Amino acid sequence: MNFVSEIGHLLITSSLWNQALAAAVLLLLPALGGVISERSGVVNIAMEGMMLTGAFFAVVADLAWHNPWLATVVAMTAGGLIALIHAVVSIRFRADQIVSGIAINIFAAGLTVFLLRRIYGIQDVGHIGASDLLPNLDIPGLNQIPFIGHVFFQQNVIVYVALVLLVLVHIVLFRTRLGLRVRAVGEHPQAADTAGINVYLIRYGAVITSGLLSGLAGAFLAIGVSNTFVPNMTDGRGYIALAAMIFGKWTPFGAFVACIIFGLGEAIYANNSIIHVSAYLLSMLPYLLTLIVLAGVVGRSSPPAADGIPYVPGSE
Amino acid sequence: MAQGLALPAGSVLFAFVVGGLIVLATGGNPLAAYQGLVCGGFGAFCTQGENPALQISNTIVFTTPLLMTGVAVALPFRAGLFNIGAEGQLLVGSVACVAIGVRFNSWPAPILLPMVLLGGAAAGALWAGIAGVLKATIGAHEVVTTIMLNYVAQWLVRYLIIGGPLQLRGGYSVSSPIGLGAQLPTLLPQSNGLVFGLPSSVYRVHAGLLIALAALGIFAFLLWRTPLGYEIRAVGQSQKAARYAGVSVQRTIIVTMLIAGAFAGLSGAVQIAGVDHNLTDKYFSDSTGFDAIAVALLGLGSGIGIILAAGLFGALHAGGSVMQADAGISSSLVGVLQALILFSIAANFLSAIKLRLPGFGRAPRARPPDNPAAAMMTEAAATQPDDGMTIT
Repeated sequence: MNFVSEIGHLLITSSLWNQALAAAVLLLLPALGGVISERSGVVNIAMEGMMLTGAFFAVVADLAWHNPWLATVVAMTAGGLIALIHAVVSIRFRADQIVSGIAINIFAAGLTVFLLRRIYGIQDVGHIGASDLLPNLDIPGLNQIPFIGHVFFQQNVIVYVALVLLVLVHIVLFRTRLGLRVRAVGEHPQAADTAGINVYLIRYGAVITSGLLSGLAGAFLAIGVSNTFVPNMTDGRGYIALAAMIFGKWTPFGAFVACIIFGLGEAIYANNSIIHVSAYLLSMLPYLLTLIVLAGVVGRSSPPAADGIPYVPGSE
Repeated sequence: MAQGLALPAGSVLFAFVVGGLIVLATGGNPLAAYQGLVCGGFGAFCTQGENPALQISNTIVFTTPLLMTGVAVALPFRAGLFNIGAEGQLLVGSVACVAIGVRFNSWPAPILLPMVLLGGAAAGALWAGIAGVLKATIGAHEVVTTIMLNYVAQWLVRYLIIGGPLQLRGGYSVSSPIGLGAQLPTLLPQSNGLVFGLPSSVYRVHAGLLIALAALGIFAFLLWRTPLGYEIRAVGQSQKAARYAGVSVQRTIIVTMLIAGAFAGLSGAVQIAGVDHNLTDKYFSDSTGFDAIAVALLGLGSGIGIILAAGLFGALHAGGSVMQADAGISSSLVGVLQALILFSIAANFLSAIKLRLPGFGRAPRARPPDNPAAAMMTEAAATQPDDGMTIT
C-alpha cells in the first residue's frame, strides 16, 4: 500500500497542515455565513456568487488604490450588497430561496466577467504587487512552537480573523440574546414574532452578514491566496462551504471540522506531485463525503425547522 | 391565458431593461448590444452581413439540449421536487455516450446509435436516481444531493479526460472521438451544395432536435395522459392527499427522478452524438443544466412554454458571441440577463410593481399564490412538516 504510506508521510508534515488550515479558512468564512443565514430561516446556496463578487471587487479596488485593507472592505461591501439582493428577493418578495440563490450565482458569474471585460478589456487583470497583498503574519514567540507554530501561527492575517470570527459566531449564536432571536426566527418565526422579535430585521441582518463573510472569503482568495482575478475563480468553494455547513449540522464548530477535512483534501491535492492519485478524483471527496453524511451514515443532519419558508405575518 | 403569459413576458422585459441599464452604466450602448443579440439569436437586424439562416441554425443547436434538460427540471417540479442536478445528469450522459461510442466505435449506426443514446439516458437516470432514492428513503433534500452530484460529475469528467481512461492518446483534456456509427446526422446533408447562400455543411442542426421534440411530446403525454403523470401531479399538490388516494409517494419520487435524469442524460448523449463527437474542456464549464432551471421556470413547466423558453435561451447563447464581436459587449451579459429573468420570475416583481411597492422590508398584504415558480413548489412544500421533507 504505497499510497497509504505516502499519505501517512504527508500527514506528519507541518506544511501540509499549514496549507490545510488556510484552505479550510477559505471555506469556513462562507460556511459561517451559511450557518447564520440558515439559522435565521433563509436558505442560502448563494455563497459561491457572493464570494466570487467579493474576489472580483477586491482585485479591482486593490489595483486602483493599492491598499489591501480598503480592498477587503470593498469586497465585503460587494458581498453584502449581493446578499441584500438575495434578502430582498427571498424575504420581501418571498421568492423561492433556492431559485434566488441559483440566480445570484449565475448573476455573479456573469456580472464579474462582464465588468472584467468592460474595465480591463480582453487582457488579463495582471498580478497584484506583493506589497498590495493581504500579508502573512507570524505571531512572535508562538510561531517558534514546533509543528503547532508553523500550522497555527505562521498564517495569513485573514486566517486569524476567521478563527476569531468562528468563536465569535458560536458565542453570539448560542450564548447571547441576539443569537437566541436568530435561532427562534429560524425555528418558529410566528412564535418569535408574537414575542416581539422583528422577524424581517433578523433575517435581513443574517443574510447580509453571510454576504459580508463570503465577501471576506473572496478577498482572501483573490488578494491573499491567488493574487489575481480569473473568471469563476471560486471554482465551487461556495458550494463546498454549503456542504461543510450541512456536514457540520448547521453549527459553527461542526462546519469548521468539515472545512478542516475538506481543506486537508485540498492540501493533499496541492501536494499531488508526491501522491500519485488523480487530483481530480481527490477533488470529488468533499462532495462524496457530504452525500454519505446526507445518506444518514453518520447520523442525521437536520436544518432549522423554518429554513427556506418565507415568513408571512399572521400565517400558521 | 393572457394572464399566464404576462409573467414570463414581463420577466424577460424586466431583465432586458435592467440589463440595458447595467450596460449603460458601464459606458456601453445597450441598443447596439441588443442588436447584436437579436442578430445572433434570430438573424434579424444584422449589421455585419451575418447570414440569418446560419444564426437561426446556431440558435436551434443551442436550444436542442435545453429542451431535454428543461423537461428534466420541469417534470420533478410537478412532483414538488427541485432537480438542480440536470447538469450532473447531462455530464454523466455525455460520459456514457463517449465511453460506449469509443469502445464500440466500429459498430454500425443501427446498433451503436441507440446504444449510446440509451446508455446516456441510463447514466443520467442512475445519477438522478441516487438523489431520488435518498429523498424517498431518508428524506435527504434533493437540492443538496443534486448539487453534490453535479460536482462529483464535473470532477469525474475532468478526471476521465485529463490523464484518465477516456483521454485521447497524445491529447490533453480531450477524449477520443466516438465512432461514426454513434454520430447523429445533421438534418442537412454534409455537402457543398448551397442552402440560403452557404454550403449546407455549415448548418449544424442535427437529428437531436427531433429527439428533443419527441422528448417534449413524451413529457406532455406522460404528465397529462398516464396514471404515473396523475401520481406525479398528485404528489406535487399534496403528499398527504396523494397518500390517502393510494399513491405511493416514495415510488413516485424515485420514478420521477429516474425519468428526469434519463431526459438530462439523453440530452448529454445527444450533444456528444450530434455536435461535439468527443468530450472536451468545454464540458468543464457547461451550464446547460442550470440554464434548464430558468427554462423550466420561464416556461411555467408546460411543454409549449419549455419550447418558447428554450428557444429564447438558445437565442441568447447564440447571440452572445455575435454581440461580443459586433458591439464589443462581453457575452457574459447573457448570464446576467438570465439571472435577472430568474429573479423576476421567482420574486414576481411584475405583480409587486402593479400592487405598488409597500414599504421596504415590510411584507405586502397576503395575496394568493400568483407566483408560478412558488406555486409549482410550495404546494408540496406547504405540507413539509407532515411529510418530513426536511433537509437531512
